[in-house]
Amino acid sequence: MANLNIDSEKARTYDAIVIGSGISGGWSAKELTERGLKTLVLERGRDVQHVKDYPTTNMYPWEFEHRGEMPYAVRQENPIVNRCYAFHEDAAHFFVKDKEHPYLQDKPFDWIRGYQVGGKSLLWARQTQRWSDFDFEGPARDGFAVDWPIRYADLKPWYDYVERFAGISGDRDGLPELPDGEFLPGYPLNVVEKYFKQKVESKYPARKVISARCAHISKPQPIHIQQGRTQCQNRKLCQRGCPFGGYFSSNASTLPWAAKTGNMTLRPDSVVHSILYDEAKGRAIGVKVIDRNSKEEMDFYAKLIFVNAAAINTNLILLNSRSNRFPNGLGNDSETLGKYMAFHNYSARIYGEYDGLLDFKTDGRNPAGGGYIPRFRNLHKQETDYLRGYAAGFGAYRSASSDRSGFGEELKKSLLNPQLGNWGVGSHMMGETIPKAASYVALDAQQRDDWGIPLLKISIDYDDNDAKMKKDYLDTMEEMFLEAGFTNIRRDDRWQPPGLDIHEMGGARMGNDPKTAVLNKWNQMHAVPNVFITDGASMTSTSTQNPSLTYMAFSARAADYAVKEMRKGNI
Amino acid sequence: MDRRSAIKQMFVLAGGMMIATSCSTDGNATSIILNNIKMSASDEALLADIVEAIIPETDSPGAKTLQLHLFVMKMVDDCHSPEDQELFLKGLKDAKDLSGKSIAETATYMQQLGPKDGFAKMIKERTVQGYLNSEYVMKNKLIYELVPGRYDGAVKVNS
Repeated sequence: MANLNIDSEKARTYDAIVIGSGISGGWSAKELTERGLKTLVLERGRDVQHVKDYPTTNMYPWEFEHRGEMPYAVRQENPIVNRCYAFHEDAAHFFVKDKEHPYLQDKPFDWIRGYQVGGKSLLWARQTQRWSDFDFEGPARDGFAVDWPIRYADLKPWYDYVERFAGISGDRDGLPELPDGEFLPGYPLNVVEKYFKQKVESKYPARKVISARCAHISKPQPIHIQQGRTQCQNRKLCQRGCPFGGYFSSNASTLPWAAKTGNMTLRPDSVVHSILYDEAKGRAIGVKVIDRNSKEEMDFYAKLIFVNAAAINTNLILLNSRSNRFPNGLGNDSETLGKYMAFHNYSARIYGEYDGLLDFKTDGRNPAGGGYIPRFRNLHKQETDYLRGYAAGFGAYRSASSDRSGFGEELKKSLLNPQLGNWGVGSHMMGETIPKAASYVALDAQQRDDWGIPLLKISIDYDDNDAKMKKDYLDTMEEMFLEAGFTNIRRDDRWQPPGLDIHEMGGARMGNDPKTAVLNKWNQMHAVPNVFITDGASMTSTSTQNPSLTYMAFSARAADYAVKEMRKGNI
Repeated sequence: MDRRSAIKQMFVLAGGMMIATSCSTDGNATSIILNNIKMSASDEALLADIVEAIIPETDSPGAKTLQLHLFVMKMVDDCHSPEDQELFLKGLKDAKDLSGKSIAETATYMQQLGPKDGFAKMIKERTVQGYLNSEYVMKNKLIYELVPGRYDGAVKVNS
């Protein structure tokens, strides 16, 4: 019997465990397995294999029962996930429904989740802008959160590294606030986006309109072909999963690569309950897993643990990993775990029309989505009555539409003869928000989920800084739209709960001082050196740029460091 | 009969969309299964006349041939609120006298309801949607490309 237990324990022992298989977990898995570590990748959701498990990927619009629309009953049952822009009939199977993993909202917060192998990397908007020292120096300069323990120079080689593998398209724009990278050819701005660029840049030299950088393969390189991926075919049906591997996802890229090493064991349906801590060793020794379906409890062991469960679930796992040494959550000597969370303010848009350049239209689809306006507010110095700033998307589109006012033959004729109208233009804000102790997630003392894990309480809200920034965004964009001669300008100042931006960050932040941060400059726990966190939970501040590319770079950098430390005997 | 073709026979194509057919032996049952609203075969026939009046057969198929009435029924049944469904059923009931009337008379009746009438608006919007997104239109008239494979941001418009 004793031998059986030992054998069984041995069978459940790996060199490394990666919790989560989304964008950051996929990278951790790739890097650790490539370095020869036998790695167990735990994913709480079901398995989703590239192409094979993309049931809607090649469907035509008429093949969807409701032409893409979600049924009324589903919308009523899922007020939260239904607010997500991509929750439609073609991708609803990749989203967590509201009742599947409930949480408590002290303040309204839309927690949008993708529980499956690949996580939200199947669903993301694929915008990949690098962060710069204007971001990493932000907290120190403006006096919030704690100083980032790294600078751009620390991350630059790892941005280069992940970009080459993932396939990032973009122009080299030479902007210090948005560093250039190892780009495949960028997607062109269309004729009206170029016109707006020229108008804006001549009137406001500090403001730039560039082609958005994105994780699409515009021109495949040998490294992409080796992954079995090929050129993006401009379908823009990415949320269904791409049969070409045209955009980066764990499913198309890092996970099959990790599998090819022979060192990866992928275990779907594995809900991580907690990380096991051994007080005598002063190390984490493994994780406790509840099987999603059977609810069977089992422990897995490893010398090294990477937590990549996505920002909020990483916090949940750490908070639920309680021991005598860490009664308030693993590695939580600073008492900051779960706190200083922040997100991106996406709550304003602005639209208009342009009646110039009507002798042009576009053809095909642009996977980059159009233009990107990097942050220009408070960039070099504080200049407004709010801290930090916003980036903005900008896009112009011209589609043919038909007059639908008629009836009978006249209507039919009109429907079949759509006419090009004015150009439509639009922009959305991407505002940096300030991480605060008052923005937190915590475990509920009573209620538990289907796997016996405490429900999470989320208490995160906008503040006055966000309101001022939003007003400035709308005023400033309106001014730029007017400057460009756009008409029929509509400001869309919408209420949307934090979370719907799907850029929640923080809770287990990086920082040099163990008294005020959970992680050090290597994304390594100050207090538990064999635990690394490289997803959104680790972020000290939010920047204005989309965060996924930065998670990839942190994951690769941390894995490289962790393996070196292991080999030196330090882990 | 093998299982595959048996299942196939339970589906009809509405605007190119698979819809589960009703297995009821009731002579006045609708040809598709409805989960929320109650309609009869005669309601269905009336609705087919109404959608045909909105988008009639010309040198190309009209709404009835494309089975857009089934699409409207499916959408009202699954995607509309109970209030909308009530409005829809009441509108159909009010239009009962149109049974057997000509397309022209049906068209006149629907147009008289005006663009703000909830019933008329719902049917017209769904019919137009079903038409534009039908396999017929997307393959033959306004071609939908699943795989464009290109993007050009400055194409000269042929005048």
